Amino acid sequence: MEPSELERFEAIVLPHLDAAYTLARYLTRNDHDAQDIVQDAYLRALKYFGGFRGQGSAGDGRAWLLAIVRNTAHTWRRRHRSDALTTEFDETLHSDALAEHTPAMALDRDSARESLYQALDRLGPEFREVIVLRELEGLSYKEIGDVTGVPIGTVMSRLARARRRLQETLRNREEGE
Amino acid sequence: MTHRELELQLDAYVDGELVPEDARELEAHLSGCGDCARLHEARVALSAAIRKQVPAPRAPDALRDRVRATLREAAGTTRVRRSLPAVTTRWLALAASLATVAVGSWRLALSGAGEDALAGQVLASHVRSLMPGHLTDVVSSDQHTVKPWFNGKLDFSPPVYDFAGRGFPLIGGRLDYAGGRPVAALVYGRRQHVINVFLWPATGASMSGAPRVATRQGYHLLQWTTPEYTHWVVSDLGLAELCDFAQLLQQADSTVAGPGAARPLP
Repeated sequence: MEPSELERFEAIVLPHLDAAYTLARYLTRNDHDAQDIVQDAYLRALKYFGGFRGQGSAGDGRAWLLAIVRNTAHTWRRRHRSDALTTEFDETLHSDALAEHTPAMALDRDSARESLYQALDRLGPEFREVIVLRELEGLSYKEIGDVTGVPIGTVMSRLARARRRLQETLRNREEGE
Repeated sequence: MTHRELELQLDAYVDGELVPEDARELEAHLSGCGDCARLHEARVALSAAIRKQVPAPRAPDALRDRVRATLREAAGTTRVRRSLPAVTTRWLALAASLATVAVGSWRLALSGAGEDALAGQVLASHVRSLMPGHLTDVVSSDQHTVKPWFNGKLDFSPPVYDFAGRGFPLIGGRLDYAGGRPVAALVYGRRQHVINVFLWPATGASMSGAPRVATRQGYHLLQWTTPEYTHWVVSDLGLAELCDFAQLLQQADSTVAGPGAARPLP
């Protein structure tokens, strides 16, 4: 690869490192796996960069990179966790909750903040990811559809369902306090 | 519009993804229905609360460095390993042209007997610096500590940078001797590799463009001359990464000095 091509790649794709890590973090729910996945995803992105540039109006590369991160996470899970299907929702195996390892969260545990995070954490992965992609990454419905490989109608209904669940959790918590 | 229909479209409306005519219909319903208006308010508040309260963790700095290093390594590897199945013909052609350049510059570097001797001295200094206790006279990753350290020890003030953000942290500096004069040696790191940058005020004509490259005893030597300084860069780091480093130095120099700038005051 020409050095100038690597520079272009770095200029276009590297600014989305935080976005990539955020998504990986919510997909894997732990820091170590998330870091490995992001690194792997960047290598893949470098390999496919020619194809991305060929697409022309492919946006700023954020959705493109996030799609690679998501695919990498799924491949990675199949490869490293053959028992993923049975363990994916086992909270005891995922004690590395984000809330425990994010300094801001550890320092500022007001109940509303923690409850929203916990509610999001309890969602199924397909619902959690649309919330992350929409609210934390700011992707459009079309981009979310591209990243997750589902039609826009499905994006819309998953997002609506995820928000209904979050709102219920919040309401229950407020009533219980 | 029924409540059920509204609920189905509410999220798309909040997200600004509803087509205008549907949005107008939904707004008309909201204005006349208290229950739905409250539902809408709750959704807007929920979105705002998520954005504000759910953490979007930033990538750790270590990951940033690791990704950069991996990319550079991967991009460099592609140049060298021609047997890789993924290498396209375009890359093959590129690799071939780069090889030609490298060999050409190597010949160039050896063309002058004086320069050849200088390369030998610089390489010897580099190897000596790797022996225990010889690397640095001043140890600091702060360029504002390293640069003034040379005051009174040299008749020039060498430009010192810290490229830690690009994966080449400053380690320190020392006095060295090459080409019959005291010179500045600046030490940078790249993972476990040490990079020595030797520089002293230029005496001959400046040579713009890419550095000249030579390889000896497993070390790469890069040499270029700006209007102000003669630079020699030596390391056992891979050539691709070392060239990246040289480019960083050249960019930093040109940013600081500007084209045709006067020689900095001693």
